[in-house]
Amino acid sequence: MSLIPYLCCVLALTSAAPALYAARSEAQISPRASVALLSASDVAAPGQTLDLGLHFRFQPGWHIYWMNPGDAGQPPRIEVFAPAGSALGDVNWPAPERHVDGPITTFVHQGEVLLPFTVTLPPALAGAAALSVKANWLVCKDICIPEEGVFRLALPAGSPQDSAEAPLFEAARAAVPTRSEWRATVDAQGVLTLEGAGTGTLQAADFFPADWGRVEHGAAQTLSTTGDTARIALTPGPDFDPEKALEGVLRVRGADGIERALWVTTPGASTVRTPALSLAAADALPPAAPASPVAAPADEGLLWPLLFAFAGGLLLNLMPCVFPVLAIKALSFAKMGGDHAAAVRLQSLAYCAGVVASFLLLAALLLALRAAGTQAGWGFQFQSPVFVAAMATLLFGIGLNLSGVFDIGARLASAGESLASRGGLAGSFFTGVLAVVVATPCTAPFMGGAIAAALGAPAPVTVGIFVALGLGMALPYLLFAFFPAVAAHMPRPGAWMERLKQALAFPMYGAAAWLVWVLSQQSGADGVLHVLAALLLVALAAWLFGVAQRASAGNWSWRGAAALALLAGLLALGRTPEPAATMPVAQTAEGAYSVQRLADLRAAGTPVFVNMTAAWCVTCLMNEKVALSTDAVQGAFAARGIVYLKGDWTRADPDITRFLQSHGRDGVPLYVYYAPGREGVVLPQILTPQIVLDHIAS
Amino acid sequence: MNTQAALRTGLLASLLFAAAVHAAPRIGEPAPAFTAVDSNGRTVKLSDFAGRTVVMEWTNHGCPYVQKWYGGGMQALQKDATGKGAVWLTVLSSAPGTQGHVDGPTANRMMKEQGAAPTHYLLDYEGKVGRAYAAQVTPHMYVIAPDGRLAYMGGIDSIASTEVNDIAKAEPLTRLAIDAVLAGKPVAKAQTRPYGCSVKYAN
Repeated sequence: MSLIPYLCCVLALTSAAPALYAARSEAQISPRASVALLSASDVAAPGQTLDLGLHFRFQPGWHIYWMNPGDAGQPPRIEVFAPAGSALGDVNWPAPERHVDGPITTFVHQGEVLLPFTVTLPPALAGAAALSVKANWLVCKDICIPEEGVFRLALPAGSPQDSAEAPLFEAARAAVPTRSEWRATVDAQGVLTLEGAGTGTLQAADFFPADWGRVEHGAAQTLSTTGDTARIALTPGPDFDPEKALEGVLRVRGADGIERALWVTTPGASTVRTPALSLAAADALPPAAPASPVAAPADEGLLWPLLFAFAGGLLLNLMPCVFPVLAIKALSFAKMGGDHAAAVRLQSLAYCAGVVASFLLLAALLLALRAAGTQAGWGFQFQSPVFVAAMATLLFGIGLNLSGVFDIGARLASAGESLASRGGLAGSFFTGVLAVVVATPCTAPFMGGAIAAALGAPAPVTVGIFVALGLGMALPYLLFAFFPAVAAHMPRPGAWMERLKQALAFPMYGAAAWLVWVLSQQSGADGVLHVLAALLLVALAAWLFGVAQRASAGNWSWRGAAALALLAGLLALGRTPEPAATMPVAQTAEGAYSVQRLADLRAAGTPVFVNMTAAWCVTCLMNEKVALSTDAVQGAFAARGIVYLKGDWTRADPDITRFLQSHGRDGVPLYVYYAPGREGVVLPQILTPQIVLDHIAS
Repeated sequence: MNTQAALRTGLLASLLFAAAVHAAPRIGEPAPAFTAVDSNGRTVKLSDFAGRTVVMEWTNHGCPYVQKWYGGGMQALQKDATGKGAVWLTVLSSAPGTQGHVDGPTANRMMKEQGAAPTHYLLDYEGKVGRAYAAQVTPHMYVIAPDGRLAYMGGIDSIASTEVNDIAKAEPLTRLAIDAVLAGKPVAKAQTRPYGCSVKYAN
């Protein structure tokens, strides 16, 4: 097979991504809402009107406010950055819903809502139209959280054409109140009278005043009908004035049982309202979105996440998780020292393809999980005990092979070390695969943002980010291909190689031991027993297989026994217990994180330091060792009365996943310091005692 | 004769009381009477402050609008008002289990940490004071003139937002009302739109 067309294909996919998501911006996701900017058209036509909208999807119970929020709350504010000469319409508000909470009545949007508005582009628009929106909104359930975001769209010039989002705009149009044909008047007592065909048979009516205080928002409204007249008794509010126009939405149910939303205006001067929208020149670029919640990627939307992903992938090579595999590959390159440069180049490309293919697979898995509504994060696969047990067994098997218990012939393509050490393109390809599998728990510093962007981004962007990660990780090997001199300087094969190979078994054993420890956190003693049984059976299989390889003849019974032992080992693995419902979390003096605990402590004005960690996260363990558990830091915590809360993400925990996402992260470590009465401050992913002390002192 | 007059007065008083309980408070009318316990366990009555200017502030420290004001603006307003002789009552109507609910000692500690200086911090967990004043949001502001009549109710200022920077740009409605009442002048904008989070009443 030829790998170059394949790689070209991957690169083409990455560069094509922006065009694929033009009608929908990157979403901003918080535990409360997912928000994105949509366009009804895929194309921006100069001089024509473009239908745009801010699309909110809420978690159950959360809502934003209508143009008149009612007794409390605040409607969203939207600032549009459009090409010079553009004109802006106001938000075409869909009809609200009434939300009654004791003596407080508010007018809200919940579930899902599109706030549509129009931008008329200048006739002399050259090239693509870049449109940005900066918005802030108050999202409330029992409590209120202010959120904000920056959303960007780039639409190519041309004649308008419906985008994939157009049906949402159609639905929104149906939700916007139509202007009432009825004659509406209001008297000094606040009775709203409607005259015209159909008014006499109204079954129900609910009036939502467009302006605050014109009528009491929560007061009962009594409907009475006679002939062609409907009267709705409203209670005048503090700003009531029958001489001024009373405007608002009337939700009515007719005799046919059909509900409609009408826009009603009584005679008189209209109230001047502050529009929800404001316009700014496109070149007055909005400042970067805040770090929390998940920020939309800046600039061209795709460039930065891809760059960060690429840098993150490059750094992954230096992470302890990847290093053992890197060592193996270095060994195989060393073996090839005498080969032609062209062969080396092909090997590198095969490795690169292996890495990229694995990342593509991860992206596909992530997208599938995300589609299934699973709260997935980076390193999530390490939350499955069976996966951890299987990884431990695989690394142990690789170690046994490196130790020389058994050999895998150059022609055998099976799992594990053979994949890593075997010559040929397939061997290089699977080395790449293995490197990725082992690297997943190491969230390199640059990767957090990229993954967060990938999780919130449309599917093609997610794929692009994962491909960039893979390319970054494979870069050192590609360098081998393009600079043959480097390969020529590789050490020559010799006896040292065997010793090196044997020595490399020990990082493998170490990694396996570490994974067994991780498993002990996940599945407890039973899990450890299962994985140790699996290791024992794999060791037996390896030894039997080695005996078979060394026997001159009649080795099939040995091989059969080896296969049986291996099968038994795999069965033991498959039965690794899932996490128990109440598993003891590794703790010292610190408390365990819970949403309630953090809320209570913050409510009480207690300073809190939150450490989100996982047993399989090496960076987390290092940070705890060198920074958090030092006397200086612990002493400072004690002196300042800071409560140290630790969240353990070793096993899947939706609360922690949400906490991470609300801080723009999808992996551990995450450190957040809450000073009394302040919002949380996120610390860097690599800690020193000084960094911690500086943050808690500010 | 005297008995009849007393009866008539009593009837009138109970009618007024009923009106105060059931109707929304009105500018220019007697402010609803109340009795409440403060964060130090002391019983506080509105009638204790007869002849003085009383400022009432509804609070909930978890509300982003309250947090905006406790960045310093509220403390300054409190110090200024109490320094000029006004009584400042911070009222907490968050029911147990809702946002902002704290006990007396915690309220005292928070006030100390924030540098807040109300005359009393009232614990209105059942929402009796809040409902009597129809307090809807945090912060919802009321100013009662020395004659016991309600002189101001509404927003703390004119820009409904959670942005601290907006305080300087907004019309300081509550400050203007306090200063007018302290100076014995009518309040120009006596009823304004309150903004903030909903008060977390017990259901």
